[in-house]
Amino acid sequence: MYRFLLTDALRDWAEKTPDQPAVRFSGQSLTYAELEARTNSAARLLIDQGVQRGDRVGIFMNKSLESAVSLYAIMKAGAAYVPLDPFAPPQRAAYVIQNCGIRHLLSAASRAGQVYEILKEPVELECLVGVEQVFGRGLRSFSWEQAYAGPSNPPDLRLTEQDLAYILYTSGSTGVPKGIMHTHRSGLSFAEWAVQTYDLVPGDRLSNHAPLHFDLSTFDFFAGAVAGATTTIIPEALTKFPANLSQLIEQERISVWYSVPFALIQLMERGGLEKRDLSALRWILFAGEVFPTKHLRQLMALLPDIRFSNLFGPTETNVCTFYHVTQIPPDTDEPIPIGKACANLEDLVVDDHDRPVPPGEAGELLMRGGVVMKGYWGMPERNAVCFYRRPAPGSFEDVFYRTGDLVQLDPEGNYRYLGRKDRQIKTRGYRVELDEVEVSLHSHAGVFEAAVYTVPDQQGSNLIAASVVPHPGAELDEPTLVEHLKSRLPFYAIPVRIWIMNEFPRTSTGKINRRELQAMAVQNLNGSEFQI
Amino acid sequence: MDRKATLSSYIKDEIMRNPKANLRDDEDLLSAGILDSLAILQLVAFIEERFKIKVPDEDVVFENFQSIDALSRYLETQKEAG
Repeated sequence: MYRFLLTDALRDWAEKTPDQPAVRFSGQSLTYAELEARTNSAARLLIDQGVQRGDRVGIFMNKSLESAVSLYAIMKAGAAYVPLDPFAPPQRAAYVIQNCGIRHLLSAASRAGQVYEILKEPVELECLVGVEQVFGRGLRSFSWEQAYAGPSNPPDLRLTEQDLAYILYTSGSTGVPKGIMHTHRSGLSFAEWAVQTYDLVPGDRLSNHAPLHFDLSTFDFFAGAVAGATTTIIPEALTKFPANLSQLIEQERISVWYSVPFALIQLMERGGLEKRDLSALRWILFAGEVFPTKHLRQLMALLPDIRFSNLFGPTETNVCTFYHVTQIPPDTDEPIPIGKACANLEDLVVDDHDRPVPPGEAGELLMRGGVVMKGYWGMPERNAVCFYRRPAPGSFEDVFYRTGDLVQLDPEGNYRYLGRKDRQIKTRGYRVELDEVEVSLHSHAGVFEAAVYTVPDQQGSNLIAASVVPHPGAELDEPTLVEHLKSRLPFYAIPVRIWIMNEFPRTSTGKINRRELQAMAVQNLNGSEFQI
Repeated sequence: MDRKATLSSYIKDEIMRNPKANLRDDEDLLSAGILDSLAILQLVAFIEERFKIKVPDEDVVFENFQSIDALSRYLETQKEAG
């Protein structure tokens, strides 16, 4: 059977292995046949409720079996799914809903309170599934039971691989999140590559550690479905507790684990992994951040029979390079490589003038091929600059995405990651634009100047800290600013400390001396609870 | 200050960083998004210091940290055991 859409694998396995569990959550599962039937019914409801090809439909819920149902149902209705962070401040969720014109929202009873808050914002929601409260304003509400009640044959929409499949919102340097658009083509290209590269088979049990609005989840769901495997959706609450997680890996007999390095370091240090039966586990995949070599070496020594792989790439490319970690020399803490370009990708490293650099020299990584996003939702100026167009024969252009990542090819032919061209950072796997945090601080009337920077956290990752100079006469304290930020930013982007200062240290050219602020912050946090 | 009040004020002051926050003893600290990985480590360090007990890694589980009530019940069992 052909596979051109992200939903095709589900259709095929529902026929071939109808009774095989497709997804599991807290001891419950949905077989491929059940997932296919439920998603067809729910897609029909969405179409009946006015969803049209190319629409955007939101998902706003804690992780559950309905997470999997939602993303397939939306794509089957011809729309792109837009996962909203269930813990985001209502203002931020409302911004995303407005920004990409979401009219239909799939949710859950447990989020009713937050949905109510979102509805106070100027959003134009028409239809709500999973929350039965009557909110008025002409909003039509349906239960999940109602969504599953209709006919379960698939809607015939004649979609193509170029149709939008999902939009993932991420931190934006202008102060508001930006939507990364992926098509069926770009999502499926990644999933097909992953299945081949990691030899995924129907007997595999994949973990779904990441939330839906993180690109890691596309591996868990789509590579899992292409392989006909089972994906175990891990409740958010358990992801915070290493001891619960290691128990889950054992009980669910997870064979392929995928998460940010931070989760693995926590598992190793506090999860009691050594006491667990991990005989089913064969791959540990990680992405999102650099895995500190000393921790990775320790983890590999603890789990000698398991293979490790580093997946790399901004959400804009799903994943674009990978590196199977074989051995780490005992005497170095040099970071491991990010490896080679994935199949169906052309990689290019260029200097500041878009000229390719000789092999071995540092430059920005550019990528062209199946996995690359379509662009940012509603940002023509940004889309005009984030792609590099190389002239090709016959008056065509080869379009490369500029990753913003600085890399260097090593003698073995693997890329090494050197850093970012901009102020985008990772804090424990979460992607944050420091400029977005600064803009958010500046939006408080009492703030005259703000500087946001990172401090190392002793776990090989970063925490965010900030310093603020108030307007003359303004009364400002840390709790006030934290409250202000909490209404705008996700929790992981809130600085762990905000220092109020009379003035900032300056460089000789008069710029804010962030390096000195950073050094002061490290000094101040030293010995505090954050240096763990 | 009793145990629950101590826990509650620590969570409000240091984790939520909002001393005026409303926080019920039975509030689900995870579903509400109050506790993240970092906050849990902070909270464990605080409990160990304040209540003079050692919280072993295997006790740092969802069941014990779901709410102030759950934490208080856990600390009660530790007191008896100790």
